[in-house]
Amino acid sequence: MQFRDSETVDFVIVGSGAAGGVIARELAQAGLTVVVLEQGPRLALRDFVKHDELKDWYLGGLTNDAVKNAQTFRDDESKKAELQKFKPALWYGRAVGGASLHYTANYWRLREIDFIERSRLGAIPGTGFADWPITYADLEPYYTKVEWEVGVSGLAGANPFDPPRTKGYPMPPLPVKSSGVLFERGARKLGWHPVPAPMAINSQQYRGRPACVHCGFCHGFACEVGAKASTLTTVIPEAEATGRCEVRPESYVSRIETNDLGRTTGVTYFDRDRRGHFQRSRAVVVCANGAETPRLLLMSASSRFPDGLANSSGLVGKYLMFNYSGRATGVFEHELNEYKSVQVTRILHDFYDSDPKRGHYGGGGLDARIGPQPTTWAIRNDADCPSWGSAYKARLREYPRTMQVASHGTSLAVASNNVTLDPEVKDAWGLPAIRVTYRDHPDDLANATFLQDRGAEILEAAGAVKVTKAAVVPQTTSVHLLGTCRMGDDPATSVIDKFHRSHDVRNLFVCDGSSLVTSGRGQPTMTIQALAFRAGEHIAGFAKRGQI
Amino acid sequence: MNDASLSRRSLLQAIAATVATASMPFSWTEIAQGLDAAHSVAQSGGGAKISFFTAAEAADVEAVAAQIVPTDDSPGAREAGAVYFIDRALATFFSQLAGDYRDQLAAFQTTFRQQHPGVPSFASLPSNEQIDYLKGVDQTPFFNTTRLLTLLGMFTLPAYGGNRDGIGWTLIGFQDAHFFRPPFGYYDRDYPGFVIDR
Repeated sequence: MQFRDSETVDFVIVGSGAAGGVIARELAQAGLTVVVLEQGPRLALRDFVKHDELKDWYLGGLTNDAVKNAQTFRDDESKKAELQKFKPALWYGRAVGGASLHYTANYWRLREIDFIERSRLGAIPGTGFADWPITYADLEPYYTKVEWEVGVSGLAGANPFDPPRTKGYPMPPLPVKSSGVLFERGARKLGWHPVPAPMAINSQQYRGRPACVHCGFCHGFACEVGAKASTLTTVIPEAEATGRCEVRPESYVSRIETNDLGRTTGVTYFDRDRRGHFQRSRAVVVCANGAETPRLLLMSASSRFPDGLANSSGLVGKYLMFNYSGRATGVFEHELNEYKSVQVTRILHDFYDSDPKRGHYGGGGLDARIGPQPTTWAIRNDADCPSWGSAYKARLREYPRTMQVASHGTSLAVASNNVTLDPEVKDAWGLPAIRVTYRDHPDDLANATFLQDRGAEILEAAGAVKVTKAAVVPQTTSVHLLGTCRMGDDPATSVIDKFHRSHDVRNLFVCDGSSLVTSGRGQPTMTIQALAFRAGEHIAGFAKRGQI
Repeated sequence: MNDASLSRRSLLQAIAATVATASMPFSWTEIAQGLDAAHSVAQSGGGAKISFFTAAEAADVEAVAAQIVPTDDSPGAREAGAVYFIDRALATFFSQLAGDYRDQLAAFQTTFRQQHPGVPSFASLPSNEQIDYLKGVDQTPFFNTTRLLTLLGMFTLPAYGGNRDGIGWTLIGFQDAHFFRPPFGYYDRDYPGFVIDR
């Protein structure tokens, strides 16, 4: 299906990633016409076979790129932000499929507590810590929908900390790796509860896609056989099959246009030849990720919306949350060969809840993995480990005997952590660069240390011959881009309502990582897709009832 | 049959084994073609020419790289051709770093000469003296960038000019293949199966 710019379609969706792809399918299957505009190219499985670490991790093969998509970073609002010449601070998928192409595919549900933590724990001064306007029960049917429509492998009933579920997983867990066996052994010795990891990777053929062939290139790479679920290989072809959805790649939206009535009329975008176009639509859904979504709203300022579109609260771009990602590394006597197969086969949630006895807010999950493939693994270094010379070379030789326990922790919503428009630096299209301001809250760092220490204990208990830990320092880069257009009931303290409609502009909707009110404990894509299925259903209903 | 065609055939067999029907949303032939193209790129290698650095600069950068991953009973950054990767990177895909790196390298060389009057260059020092000198400068931007580029040149695809003959991958025991089967390592060989514990 191809629409002309001059045709007024029902919806323009900005972004084709985890959320945009799902909403496109839900709207198109409901009988509505949809144009999806995607910044990046449309790639195919044949483009994913190269196992090219340089291109995919360092040259923007699947993602935004430091040169074209300039970004600046600072850790304090009083400082001038510096151009990030080597890698962008905020890293996102920039191709049809978005970050669902290159994610690790850990698919954890949030739990009941995530939605009501503020009520349970009380206010945290200096933060925007808040309850969600929806509960776990509201989202549960959509988590189940993700598991069955997208395809998640896992073992229902294994995790004693799991929230209630209405249905099991459609596929059994993936085969355990040596890291999973050791993690399970160590954690059980300590009295904890390791369980098979829920992953959006096929353990058997499912919905026309093959089972995983264990090549090892998931994290930061797109799956060459389509066993890892991406919107490119799941919901997007289904949306297109309706005959009512066009996905237009290399279409970079620079502005959401509004009229005198304060309604959106469509979007202005650059095509691959940098020619400008205006696509008319009855409504706009922004699913451009937690960095690009607030940037686009800020770039869409007008005399009627001088502080940016949908920004009467002043919260567009604020409350950026990363999750703190930490690690403990263990070296064992025999080979694990962790570079093979999926990243994660065992996780544990014993430390998910915040516990005032720890002296800080926060909780998290742990998993067993290697982390990145060889190049990035070699570049990373744990605290107090040799970084060059013969001792470093000896460490490189330990690669097949090495695993990590990765920790995934909470981030508090802090207004001074945000995305704004850089006042000087422009991207390759002449648009204002994303300016990132971020410094982990002290509780997030204390929590990261707590979780890393538990990971180290698991490795010790599993019999590691050597255990080291990453230095816990403020993060300057992330792939989890959360909270920058939060949902809520009160237009003064949130950007969108519980149905993802912006409080200020009736025919403008937002759904992606920016919608999250709290950070969860890492692994946000599952929740982003559950929100997208829910938003898609409600937005289609509004359209059919003339409520847009 | 060469490694590339073996790898291609094994991948297709592995996929075929998992697929019960032909109703896939994409074509296996296309994947196979992509794999062939990837292997021809991987084998093409980089030209062994230095274009960004002067000969003296290249010698110093190579000497630093060779201390980061030294040569002992197995090859290191020198044999992997890391300096060729670095040269090509700064001339092409990392050209945005070139200006800063030239300045950092010039500062490294100037400081070295000031502290070693009469010694022609860092590269001309005996290895043990190079190590002692680097211990004093291994927190500088020059050293950090050289380390980053050296490791990229050790482990990324040989097509980019480094990791010659897969030297980096051999060093760390990594195998670039398109499919594996469990058991993957020593510890998952005799795994009895997951038992729910609550």
